[in-house]
Amino acid sequence: MPDSILVIGGGPAGLEAARAIASIGGKAILVERRDVLGGTPDESNYAALTPRMGSAQDALDVLRAGVVDPAIDVRVSTTLTASSGSLGDFAVTLSGPAGETTEHVGSIIVATGFQHFDPGRETQMYGYYEHADVITLPDAEKMLKEHHFVRPSNGEIPRNVAFIQCVGSRDRRLGNEYCSKVCCGVASKEAIEIRRMLPDTKVYIFYIDMRMYGFWENEIYWPAQEEHNVTYIRGIVTEIVGKDGRLLMKGEDTTMGRPLEVLMDVIVLSVGMEPSRGTRDVAGILGIDQNKYGFIALPGEPMDVVSTSVPGIFVAGAAAGPKDLEDTVGMAGAAAAHAVGAIRGSLRAGAGVG
Amino acid sequence: MSRDLPILKVDQIHELEHAVVDGVDISGHWNRMFSDRSTTALPTEAMDWITSLDGGESMRDCYQCGKCVPVCPVQHVGDYGPRKLNAKVVRGNDLIDDPDLWLCTTCGNCYRVCPKEVNPLRIMPAIREQAVLQGKVPDELSDVFRNLQKSGNPMGESPRKRIDWIAEAGVDVPIISQIGRPVDVLWYVSDYTSYHPRGKDAARAMARVMTALGIDFAILGPEERSDGDSARLAGESGLFELLAEQNIKAFQKYEFKQLVVMDPHAFNAFKNQYPRLGWEGEVLHYTQFLAPFVDKIEFQSSVDLDVTYHDPCYLGRNNGEYDAPRKLLEAIPGVRLAEMPHTKANGYCCGGGGGGMWLDGFVAEHVSERLSERRVREAVATVGMDGSGVLSVACPYEPSRFEDAVKSTGNDGRLVVRDIIELIDQAMQPPAA
Repeated sequence: MPDSILVIGGGPAGLEAARAIASIGGKAILVERRDVLGGTPDESNYAALTPRMGSAQDALDVLRAGVVDPAIDVRVSTTLTASSGSLGDFAVTLSGPAGETTEHVGSIIVATGFQHFDPGRETQMYGYYEHADVITLPDAEKMLKEHHFVRPSNGEIPRNVAFIQCVGSRDRRLGNEYCSKVCCGVASKEAIEIRRMLPDTKVYIFYIDMRMYGFWENEIYWPAQEEHNVTYIRGIVTEIVGKDGRLLMKGEDTTMGRPLEVLMDVIVLSVGMEPSRGTRDVAGILGIDQNKYGFIALPGEPMDVVSTSVPGIFVAGAAAGPKDLEDTVGMAGAAAAHAVGAIRGSLRAGAGVG
Repeated sequence: MSRDLPILKVDQIHELEHAVVDGVDISGHWNRMFSDRSTTALPTEAMDWITSLDGGESMRDCYQCGKCVPVCPVQHVGDYGPRKLNAKVVRGNDLIDDPDLWLCTTCGNCYRVCPKEVNPLRIMPAIREQAVLQGKVPDELSDVFRNLQKSGNPMGESPRKRIDWIAEAGVDVPIISQIGRPVDVLWYVSDYTSYHPRGKDAARAMARVMTALGIDFAILGPEERSDGDSARLAGESGLFELLAEQNIKAFQKYEFKQLVVMDPHAFNAFKNQYPRLGWEGEVLHYTQFLAPFVDKIEFQSSVDLDVTYHDPCYLGRNNGEYDAPRKLLEAIPGVRLAEMPHTKANGYCCGGGGGGMWLDGFVAEHVSERLSERRVREAVATVGMDGSGVLSVACPYEPSRFEDAVKSTGNDGRLVVRDIIELIDQAMQPPAA
C-alpha cells in the first residue's frame, strides 16, 4: 500500500498540510503549478497580512521552510493531469518539467485555492477596465508592497481614496451569493497602510455591512477608525464616471438617506473570492463534488470540514470556499491528520459518504 | 417664598405628526417638534402581506445596500428611493396610502443593479392592484382606467376614430378586415400613434416608409385596442386581461407573418405577457423590423442634424434592444449621432412608464421636476443650443412628453423631438427647394 500523500497546491494551505503530514511521520508529494511556492499571497504581491500587519513574504518564508524535509517531495512547475484508483491506492499522473510520471499515493489533499473576482464581470458601472485609477485590492497590495501608492493614471499622490466593498460577493445576479469573508478586513488593513504612508490622503470605505468577525473587529476595524481616521460610510456605490481627470462616484449614503456624488482620485474595488481555475480543473480530474459556486463541496459539514465527496480525498483552504489565512492553515492541519489517518486505516466512519 | 411652577411630566407629552394651531396647519416633515420621534412598534404585517401577493415576494429580500438609489430616475427629483420602500415596509407601512406607491415608473434600472434581484416591475403592480381593489387610486389614473374600459384607449376616443390619421398619410393604409387576404405584416399602430395629434405624425411616416419599401402590410383599424401593458403595471391587471382578450381575438381572426408595433409597451405586452393569455407569434418593434432594410431605403436628402437617442425603458433595458434604433439613425444621411451620459442599459426614464403617463398631476406634487424635463436638459447639454439638435425617440409616449418638457425648461428653439421614423421619412423626401 502506498504510504505517500499527494498535496496539490503550494500556497499556504498546501505548504502547511505537507509540513503537518511530515511532522506526524507521514510522507508527502507536494505539487505546485508555478515555479515558486507561496500561492496567491505570493503571486498577487500581498504586502502585509491581516490583522497583525506582518510581512506576507516573511510569513510565507516560515511556511516554505516547513516543507524543507526529506519526507516531502516538492515538485514545482508540476500539475495533476489524471487520476485513477481509490482510497489506499490512487494512481496520479503528474506533468512537470521532466515530463509525465505516474505516482501511487494513499490519499490526496486538494489545496488549489481561490482567485480574485474579475471586476469586469460586475453588474454595476465601476469601469475597472476603463478607468486607470479604479483598481482592486490586489492591485493596491502591489503598490503598498513597493511603498509607492499613487494614482496609476498620472503617478501623483491621491488626495482621496475610496474602497468599495462587496464587489463580486453577496450578489445573486452574479451568482456569487456568498460573503468572501476577508475583504472587509483586508480593505481596512490597506486603508491603515495608506494612511500611514500618506498622512495627507483621506481614505473612505463604503460598505453594506462591515463583517469583522472575532478579533478583526478590535484588531483592524477599530484602529482604522480610531487611530488612523479612516472614514466609514454605510452605502454602496452604483456608478463611477470620469470627471475632470478624477473619478466621480455616485451612490447612496444610506444612513442619511441621501444621494452621494463625491470625487475620488483612486477607487479600490474590494473584490471577493472565486474558485481558482486549478480548483475547478482538479475537482474535475479527481471527480469530487463542487458546490453551486464551484468550490469543493464538504458533505460532512459542520463537524467534518476537510472530507470531500470521495473517500481518501480531502481539501484545505480557500479551494473549499472563502477563507482567511488563520482558517486556512488550521484546516490544513486537520486535512493532514485525516489524510494520514486514512492511509493508516482509520478513515472516519461516515466521512466522505455525504 | 415659593411659586407654583408648571410641572412638566415628560411621559405625558404627546408628540403630534400633524398639528393645527389657531386654524393654521403647522405640521410638516420639516418640523421635528411635531413628528413622532420614537419608533414604538415594528409591526411585521405589512411585509407579510406584501410578500404574500403574487409578484410581491422579493420585497423582503432587500439588504439595504443602496445601489438602487443612484440609478432610480425618481430619486433625482424627490425623496423616493427603492431601498426606502423596503425600509418603510419593514417599519409597518403597507404603501397603500403612501404616494410612493405611484411614483415608480417601472423603468427597471434598480432591478438591473440589485444584487438581491428585488423586482419592482413585479412588486409595484402587485401592491397597486390591491390599491385598485380598495378604490385608492389617484383620480386622474381612474379616469384613464375608465376610458380604457369603455373605449379601448386612454383618451376615451371612439374606436372608429382610431383610423382618422390615415386621411393625411398620403399613401394607402389597408385595413385587414377589408382586404380579405393574408398579409406579411400586421402593423399594430398603438394608442398615441393613432389618436394623439403629435403621435399621428409617426403613424403617417411609418405608413409612407413601409409603402416605399413595398412591404405587404395592413392594420387592425377599429378592431385594435390598447395593448394594456401600462394599465397592468399601474395595477389594473383585470383591465389588462380584458384588453388583451380583445386584441388576441383580433390577432387570431387574421393571417399574418409578423406583428410590428410602434410602442415598446405594446412590444413588451405581446412578447412577454400575451403568451400566457393565449397568443404567441413573432412580434417586432418597428426599429427591429426596419433595421434589416437600411440598405434598401432610398434616401433622397440629407437631414444635417445633431441627434441623440433616448432609449425607451421597455425597448432597451427591459427588452434588450439597443442596436436597431441606432442602426437606423446611423443610416440616415446627415445624422450625427451623439450619446447622452445616461444611455442604453442606464438610460434615464421619461417618466411615462408604469402608469406615469397618466399620473403627471399627482406625481408633480411629490417631485421637484418631471423626469422628462431632466432628460431634456441632458439632451440639450448633448446636442442642443443652436437649434440643429434633435432628441430622437422610438416610443409614442415620448414626442408629446418631451416637447412639453422642452417648452417648460425654456429650451424652445434649442432642441426638437422626433421619432426615428419621422427622421427616416424626412430623409426619404426630396430636398426642400
